[in-house]
Amino acid sequence: MSTISLPAIPKFSVHVPSRPMMARDADSMFWTSRYIERAEHVARLLLVNANLLIDVGDLAPKLLSQHWQSVLTIMRTEPPAGGVEGTKDMGARIAHYMTFDRDNANSLLTCVSRARENARGIRENISAEMWEALNTLYWSIRGDDAPSRFEESPDDFYRQLMTGSMLFQGLTDQTLDHDQRWLFTQVAKYLERIDVTCRVIETKYNILQSGAGQMDAALKNIQWMAVLRSCCSIEAYRRHHLGEMDPLRVATFLVLERNFPRSVRYAVGMAREALCSIRNETSGLAIDPAERLLGRLNAQLEYAEPSEVMKEGIPTYVQKIQAQVAEAGLEVQKRYFLY
Amino acid sequence: MFDQYEADGLFDEMFEAPGRPRPHYSAVASRLKSLGPAAFNKRVRMADVTFRNQGITFTVYNDQRGVEKIFPFDLMPRIVPANEWDIIERGLVQRITALNLFCQDIYHDQRILRENVVPPELIYGAKMFRREMFHVNVPRNIYIHICGTDLVRDKNGTYLVLEDNGRTPSGVSYVLENRSVMKRVFPSLFGAYHVRAIEDYPYNLLQCLKHVTPQRSDDPSIAVLTPGIYNSAYFEHSFLARQMGVELVEARDLIVDNAYVYMRTTAGLRRVDVIYRRVDDDFLDPLCFRSESILGVAGLMNAYRCGNVALVNAPGTGVADDKAIYPFVPDMIKFYMGQDAILPNVKTYICARESDRKYVLENLDKLVVKSTNESGGYGMLMGHQATNEERQIFAGKIMEDPRNFIAQPVVELSQHPSFIDDRFQGRRIDLRPYILYGEKVIVMPGGLTRVALRSGSLVVNSSQGGGSKDTWVLEEEQ
Repeated sequence: MSTISLPAIPKFSVHVPSRPMMARDADSMFWTSRYIERAEHVARLLLVNANLLIDVGDLAPKLLSQHWQSVLTIMRTEPPAGGVEGTKDMGARIAHYMTFDRDNANSLLTCVSRARENARGIRENISAEMWEALNTLYWSIRGDDAPSRFEESPDDFYRQLMTGSMLFQGLTDQTLDHDQRWLFTQVAKYLERIDVTCRVIETKYNILQSGAGQMDAALKNIQWMAVLRSCCSIEAYRRHHLGEMDPLRVATFLVLERNFPRSVRYAVGMAREALCSIRNETSGLAIDPAERLLGRLNAQLEYAEPSEVMKEGIPTYVQKIQAQVAEAGLEVQKRYFLY
Repeated sequence: MFDQYEADGLFDEMFEAPGRPRPHYSAVASRLKSLGPAAFNKRVRMADVTFRNQGITFTVYNDQRGVEKIFPFDLMPRIVPANEWDIIERGLVQRITALNLFCQDIYHDQRILRENVVPPELIYGAKMFRREMFHVNVPRNIYIHICGTDLVRDKNGTYLVLEDNGRTPSGVSYVLENRSVMKRVFPSLFGAYHVRAIEDYPYNLLQCLKHVTPQRSDDPSIAVLTPGIYNSAYFEHSFLARQMGVELVEARDLIVDNAYVYMRTTAGLRRVDVIYRRVDDDFLDPLCFRSESILGVAGLMNAYRCGNVALVNAPGTGVADDKAIYPFVPDMIKFYMGQDAILPNVKTYICARESDRKYVLENLDKLVVKSTNESGGYGMLMGHQATNEERQIFAGKIMEDPRNFIAQPVVELSQHPSFIDDRFQGRRIDLRPYILYGEKVIVMPGGLTRVALRSGSLVVNSSQGGGSKDTWVLEEEQ
């Protein structure tokens, strides 16, 4: 009887320690993700404003121009050369400026181009699916037919951009190892989301307070709904508060809600968790400053009461959050990207 | 679709006589005839969109923004039958072996110079001769790990070697992407043939890189070194890194400490064992080569000389693909291997030789003059197409620096049908196969077929308006 020799089984471990990540790659990963998130917010703000125009355009022209102006304020963007104040086609000018202007650091075109430039430098770190989605998104705004598609239907145009951005984020979740590379995209995405959400609350609150006296209830409701829409939160909010619409409820929902991925608190928690995992992977035991900042903020939001928010005043409350998050962003750069 | 197709007295890859395709093209011909121009054009557009969305582009800087262009892709495949490929393959294996022996010899004992096979002044006068490499023992004695050798066919259909690219040959990513796009838009065309697969190239390249790891380790750390995203071949650098699953680094990501190379990571420094570098010798190490360069990694050559890192290809291989050394490759094959060259060279006049120079200057209108150290179709004179004035200028240049020039008779490249303006027209082509020298020599069955898309043009370089085709090497018939 002959013995059958078994093939030799190669020895290797299923659980290999994850590979260190190049600092420059981490940097690019971070900014790709951040610019994509930013593009989504800009597109949504512009879309909501365009719809608002249809709803209240004739009722309150002054309010409307404040809303257009607020897009610039929220994105911390200088107005286009020559200003926009008082011109008849102000809405269209700001929309164009925030969509196609190459010299505007926060225009959709710039955000998507920068996201792509960053991704191009780390092609080998992202999946083919992610790259193709980003590239398709880029050509949808950079291609020769983009302006004409925009003229035809700004609504469709912005929706396409938002879906494109969300598709990219979905692919990031589903096609990338959830290692450092993914973790850095999460940190970036949530930091950007916290920042923009806080700015939306702050800016819109100021506008609505200043004109509060002259507004009837219906108009006010429309305004606050627009705020929620700008944060992609209208449906979730309705389920929570069954249609009750007041500034404090809206603000506390957007800032303190525990399980809603668009709320500040949720985003702070996720960013902190991602940073914590990055620290574990890079074998540091000492908590780094960014994580400490976010950890404290997380605790503060976790135990906050609506009355605290009220006492401090909504704008001040969210300003403080912005400051801490900005500092955390700088600390991440210092700790991981600067080499 | 082939009704008005003409051969113009050239060697045609597809047709042996008007209307009669060669046997290995007959299946493609009948399939395309039934397809019609509209359906073919639709597939051309499908291919273009795929290339654009996948970002398979190169950048042309004619304005501030930089315009991204698709490398023009000609959907009509070029087919090489098994018996022809057999000769090419054996010829290329022989050639890369000889070129490596030559580099090893030139940087050590220089037997070939002592025995007067190659004139020493040509070596010492070569811009790419690196004194820094003298008596450096390179890992596994391999200098040229990756070689791209350009082949053309003359009027009789004989394959000739036009030049070797033994420094950092590019284009292989387009070969792989062309094939994948071709499979996407023309799957039915593959049905009639047994086309040899090329998809294992990245795997073979990785094995080739692992083979030269300095420390015998199961898990060597390998990186592709790129000049950065603004380099015209950046797509390829990132493509190869991704396909192999290794890091893509720029010089600023690397640092040399105590003669070891490290890359900067989020968790500190990590050692690098093998660098597939896609930057020129000049920009590798400012301490060794160009001191004014801010590119490069200071101390890299020192780490290399200490045997702590492998560079692929080795520095100094430019001495082997210098155009004035090229005429001696058949002699090298004879000298080192005792064999006759399987693939012939194109007749070449070396302007540094007095008799040759005299002939070149007298016959400028019949010759192609090339600068010995340029590539990409730059620094060339197509004598028969040039004006008298252009020839005069070139004659001046040759007399000023004869070492820098060679001349060759015009090779009437073979032509191949390309789909242009709704019908097939003949266009000149060449072929660049890729050869890997690792544990054994592997020739990729296929290569980059470049097409001169302008009618009558002999220049196939992408920087000069060339395109490319998928290249099918067929399996041996059973």
